Amino acid sequence: MAVSSLSLPFHFRSSPKSHTRRKFVFFAAASSDVPLLQVNDLRAKIVESNAEILRGVNLTINRGEIHAIMGKNGSGKSTFAKVLVGHPDYEVTSGSVVFKGENLLEMEPEERALEGLFMSFQSPVAIPGVSNDQFLVMAYNARRKKLGLPELGPLECFSYLMEKLQLVNMKPDFLNRNVNEGFSGGERKRNEILQLAVLGADLAILDEIDSGLDVDALRDVASAVNKILTPENSLLMITHYRRILDLLKPSHVHVMDNGKIARTGDLSMVDAIEADGYEPVSVLT
Amino acid sequence: MSGIALTPAAFNPIIPSSSSSSSKSQKLIRTKTRVTFNNAISISSDPFILDLAETLEDSVPTPQPLQNLRQASSHSLLSSPWPSRKHEPFRFNDFSFLRSSQILPAPIPTTTTTATDQFPCHISIVDGHFIQSTSKISEFSDGVYVGNLSKLNGVVAKRVLELVSGLDGGDLFWSINGMGAPDLTVVYVPEGVRVETPVHLGYVSLQGSKEGGNELYLSNPRVLVVVEKGGEVDIVEEFEGNENECYWSNAVLEVVIGEGGKVRHSYVQTQSMLAAHIKWTSVRQESSSTYELTEVSTGGKLGRHNLHIKQLGPDTVTELSTLHLSVGNQTQDLHSSLVLDHPRGYSRQIHKCIVAHSQGQAVFDGNVKVNRYAQQTDAGQLSRSLLLEPRATVNVKPNLQIIADDVKCSHGAAISDLEQSQLLYFQARGIDSETARRVLIFAFGGEVIDKFPNSSIRDRVRSQIKSLLDPSPK
Repeated sequence: MAVSSLSLPFHFRSSPKSHTRRKFVFFAAASSDVPLLQVNDLRAKIVESNAEILRGVNLTINRGEIHAIMGKNGSGKSTFAKVLVGHPDYEVTSGSVVFKGENLLEMEPEERALEGLFMSFQSPVAIPGVSNDQFLVMAYNARRKKLGLPELGPLECFSYLMEKLQLVNMKPDFLNRNVNEGFSGGERKRNEILQLAVLGADLAILDEIDSGLDVDALRDVASAVNKILTPENSLLMITHYRRILDLLKPSHVHVMDNGKIARTGDLSMVDAIEADGYEPVSVLT
Repeated sequence: MSGIALTPAAFNPIIPSSSSSSSKSQKLIRTKTRVTFNNAISISSDPFILDLAETLEDSVPTPQPLQNLRQASSHSLLSSPWPSRKHEPFRFNDFSFLRSSQILPAPIPTTTTTATDQFPCHISIVDGHFIQSTSKISEFSDGVYVGNLSKLNGVVAKRVLELVSGLDGGDLFWSINGMGAPDLTVVYVPEGVRVETPVHLGYVSLQGSKEGGNELYLSNPRVLVVVEKGGEVDIVEEFEGNENECYWSNAVLEVVIGEGGKVRHSYVQTQSMLAAHIKWTSVRQESSSTYELTEVSTGGKLGRHNLHIKQLGPDTVTELSTLHLSVGNQTQDLHSSLVLDHPRGYSRQIHKCIVAHSQGQAVFDGNVKVNRYAQQTDAGQLSRSLLLEPRATVNVKPNLQIIADDVKCSHGAAISDLEQSQLLYFQARGIDSETARRVLIFAFGGEVIDKFPNSSIRDRVRSQIKSLLDPSPK
């Protein structure tokens, strides 16, 4: 089944809802509401080495959709996520990214975040000397300020933080520790989801949130994400594994290859990838 | 005549008071007599040093117990050259503004500051002089003594003096202090006694001159801390002076820790940005003793801390955490030396510098000597510097000399701007880069500030560093 669908890349549609080929995107954009995120022919290179990593990415995400990007190592998945949040190591050379109707590429990273774009880092950096609650309160207040709400003191934030902490199944002392300092791999990932829960987002990009997690932690993380999601929020996850896809059930699965989205389908495409690897899937484009 | 006055300073404990003739003519005569004694003690030919030595001799009458110290200091001062950039230990220091000034020993102050209520045990040292009236010395039981040497009882005084005069000295500035110290403040903790309240040493420089003035007031406070076997004490040193005034504070602290004893030492330096602050801390550790230093230095046009620690027995613990901050046209210098001669010593040193001005400079020379018998030493040293402005400078020289063959030693030095990845992490959560920078810079220093045992010091230093890094609080 999967194999036969792979033979028809240009006409492949896994479900009536999906419209991920470029042509469909334009139709969709024209015929329905403005997409949450629209990426057109995005090209980007590493600033230092000038190496081009993204070679024309096209992607549209509408409100309430769950997307997954898969692809072999070095195909540009994480770079794509980093370019979206404005990582200074990369320079966009051409293409456009429109987020909530605005040009995302002109915004500073913090403006993108305040606009409602959240990325969980694949390996979140440790910030010695800054405690987790201090960091969360600071970020939460930046968000409140953007929304025109009064900033809150650490004590006023406390109950709100505690509630979110339960969501990721962590103990309160988690807040007193320095941001990601001495955290295990699992704790780092949970902390990213905690930040997402505290700050909220219109589009959450989870970059390999499942790598390095044991079964229990993965279930915790997935259930927290499911609780955070609303029909208005969208999710874009980058992963190598099927397990999280089964838990979060993306409607759209993309395969990235050589800096482009080579294939788009639904969960059934994952079977083909698991069975035969990425080569046959991406080669068909 | 004044030439004769110099000679006894080196050989004879009795120092005659100077004549009332003008200093100009004295200098001339002395230069002549110098030749006569040149072969005997190789007296410096530097007229500035000769002049300084004489000024110091004349400044205060020698207290009887300190005569040996004066004598030895005078001797070494006169045989020391004035430090220049050609001398390795002073390569990155500019002492020219001291040399171009007329050095005046700061007199006994007539007006004094009021005692701070913060510490139940407070020693007030103004312009190098111990001031009884503004000190608060609570009654200690168990034979603990805090105060002036002259009021110390005979047996303890004898013990203390053995320790004071028997020191192998340091550099020229050590000698200047030895000659110029008007008295000695003593903290004495007898065997087995744990002093619960921290002993606060508040050093204030009141005598100062305006910028551009030729006169420079010099103070030479000197404190000796003796902790006998099993004793424990917290020492808090704070140095300050009048903002926008020039002066020269040249302090010496000696610490002797007996077997199993423990000293926690907090040192905060917030001198005027026009001042010279040169400070010696010399520590001797008997076996199984512990010395913990936490330092934050932010003041002074030139701030230099010479920290020497010598191990006198095995199983010592030494922890040094220091933070230097240059937010103006200033130099912060730490020259530390740790000499391990006995087995199983444990030491950890972290030195951090933040240079936030294009003409600011930080200097670190950190020497650890692990000698032949210091087997199974565990010594770690780390220096991290943050350069926040173009042309901000740091000169770091961590150096380990290891002769013993069964040791665990590590050292590292990192010099950087703020980590891009950390900044991005803040931004990716909606926090603007300026706020992120401020938080990160502060967090960098926080690692050292957090080590102050006293919470009020911690809070004070935190807000002080905050205001220095960000003069317009948001």
